[in-house]
Amino acid sequence: MNSAVFNIRSASDCKAQGASGKAAKSPVFNIPFSEDKPISAKHARSDCRATQIRVLAFKEFGDRFRSGWVLACILLWLGAIGFASFLGLIQMGRIGVQGYERTVVSMLNLVQYLVPLLGLLLGHDLIVSEKEERTLRLLLSSGVSRSRLLLGKFLGACLTIAVPLVAGFLVAGLVIGLAARDSGLAPFLKLAFSGVALGIVFVAIGVALSTFSKTRVQAIVAAVLMWCAFVFVFDLIALGITVSYNSPAASREIELVCDAMHVNAAADIHSDADTISSAPRQTSAGAAASVAGVACLAVNPVDLFRAVNLSSTLGVHVPVGAGVASFVGWIALSLLLSRWKLNRTDL
Amino acid sequence: MNPHLQISNLTKRFGRTCALDNVCLRVERGTVLALLGPNGAGKSTLFGCLLGLTRPTRGDILLDGGVITDAARSRFGYVAERVALYWHRTVRDNAELFARFKGCAPSCALQQLTRVGLDSVTQRPVCQLSKGMLQRLGLAIALCGEPELLILDEPFNGLDPALLDTFQGVLREEIERGATLLISTHTISAVEPLASDVAVLLEGRLAAHGSVSELTARYPEEASLEAVYRRIARGEELEALAA
Repeated sequence: MNSAVFNIRSASDCKAQGASGKAAKSPVFNIPFSEDKPISAKHARSDCRATQIRVLAFKEFGDRFRSGWVLACILLWLGAIGFASFLGLIQMGRIGVQGYERTVVSMLNLVQYLVPLLGLLLGHDLIVSEKEERTLRLLLSSGVSRSRLLLGKFLGACLTIAVPLVAGFLVAGLVIGLAARDSGLAPFLKLAFSGVALGIVFVAIGVALSTFSKTRVQAIVAAVLMWCAFVFVFDLIALGITVSYNSPAASREIELVCDAMHVNAAADIHSDADTISSAPRQTSAGAAASVAGVACLAVNPVDLFRAVNLSSTLGVHVPVGAGVASFVGWIALSLLLSRWKLNRTDL
Repeated sequence: MNPHLQISNLTKRFGRTCALDNVCLRVERGTVLALLGPNGAGKSTLFGCLLGLTRPTRGDILLDGGVITDAARSRFGYVAERVALYWHRTVRDNAELFARFKGCAPSCALQQLTRVGLDSVTQRPVCQLSKGMLQRLGLAIALCGEPELLILDEPFNGLDPALLDTFQGVLREEIERGATLLISTHTISAVEPLASDVAVLLEGRLAAHGSVSELTARYPEEASLEAVYRRIARGEELEALAA
C-alpha cells in the first residue's frame, strides 16, 4: 500500500453499521438466483442465460424490421429471382419464366455477389455500433456475458438475413413451379439452402470484423475489402496458382467456376447444362484434380457455394459433409475470434 | 465475516498510464461509499473493473468472498456518467429491455419508471428526453430487480435542485431496503447526506478511506466533507511537490 494512504478503517474494525448512524439492515432481496436453493438456482441461471440470448436476438431482428431492412430485402430478393427466371436466357434469345434448373444457373451470379454483401453489411456494425454509442457498457453491466452478447447478436442477424431469403425463395419458387409447371425442385432447394448458409457464414465474418474494428467506418471498409477478397481476389489467386502449375484439368475446372461471373459465360453454362446428360466430361485425371479442387474451394465459402450449385455442370461432386464442415468451420472460427477479441477489450 | 465487497491490490495500467495503483477497499453490506477524486483519478476505471468492463492488470475483486460472475452482475445496478441508451426506442422499450436482461418481468421496469416520475413519458423516444429525464431513466433501469449493489457514476450531474431531491429520496429508499451504494461524484454536498463511508482517489492511488465521521474527526477544523476532501487533495499535492 502506498505510504500516503491512511486507511482509517482497518480490516479488523470494519463494522456493518455505517458511521453516520445508518443501520445496515439484513437485506431482503428478490433475487432469482438465491444460493439457498442450488437446484432451482441452476435452472434459473440457465433460463436467464437463454432469455438474454433470445431477447438480444429478437431485439436485433426487431430493430432491422422496424428500419425497413427486412422488407426491402424481401422485395429485392423477389424481384431478383423473378427477373433471373424471366430474363435469364435473354442472351440465348429466350424470354419467359424458366424452370427451376435454369433459374438456378441464372441466379448463381446474383446470389454469390449479393448474399455475402448482405451478410457483411448486417454483421459489420453489430458490436462496433454498440461500442460507439456506449450502450455496450450498460448491456454488459446488466449481467449479459460477452459470449451471450455475441451469440444473441449473431442469431438475431442470422434471423434477419434468413427471413428475407427464405421468403423470397419460397414465393418465387411457388410462382416458378406454377408458371413453368416444373416439378424438378431439387436444384432450387439446393440453391436456397446453400444461399441462406452462405449468408449466415458472412454474417459471422461480419461480426468478427465488427469486434476487431474501433469505429463503424473502419468496420464498413473492412467489410467491403473482405467481400472483394472472397468474391474476386481468391478466384484470381487460385487461377494464377493453377495456371502457374500448368494443370489443364484443374485449370478448366476453375475457369468454369470463375467464368460463371462473366455475363457472356452465362449462356455457355446454360449450354453446358443442356448437354451435360448426353456427354459426361469427367475423365479420371479430371476426377483426381477435382478432389484437390474441392479441397481448395472449401477454403472459400463463395467458391464452395458455386461448386455445390454447379456440381452437375462441372462434373464435380462436393460431399455434403465437406460443404457443411466448411460453412460450420467458418462460422465457428469467426465467432471464436470475436469472443477472443471481445474478452480482451476494455470498455 | 466477509465484507460485501473487497478490493485487493487493484491495479490497472493503460500502456504507460497507471489508472489504478494498488487500490484496496472494503465495503460492508448496506453502506454507502462516496468515491471522491478529481477528473482522471481512476473512479470510472474502478467502476469499470467492478462491472467487468475493464480487465484489471493485477488484483482481486471479491463479492461476498467470491469472484464476481455474470450472474452476480445481474444483481448490480449501474448508472453511467453519460447515460447511453437506444435512442430510437421509447423510454418504456429501453426500461423493459434492460429489465429482461436482468431476468425481471417488464412490469418491474414500469414500477421503477413510476418511482422516478417518468410514467408520463413512457412512450416518448429516448432521443427526446432532457438530461434530467435521461438520468432518471438510467436510475430506473439500474433499480430494476432490486439490486444488491448500486454503482452510480456521477449521478448528480446536471440535476436541478428539485430533481436532486427526488434522486436522493429514491437512493434513501434503496439504502433502507438494504442495498449497498457506491457513488462517485464531484457534487460532494449532494452525496454527504447519504454517505456512510468515503474513499478518496488521487492519481489512481487511494489517498483516504474511512467513515464520514472518522474522516471529519481527523480534520476537526474543517466544517464539511467537501473541505475535508479539499484538504486531503491539497495535502497529497504538497507531498508530491516535496518529493
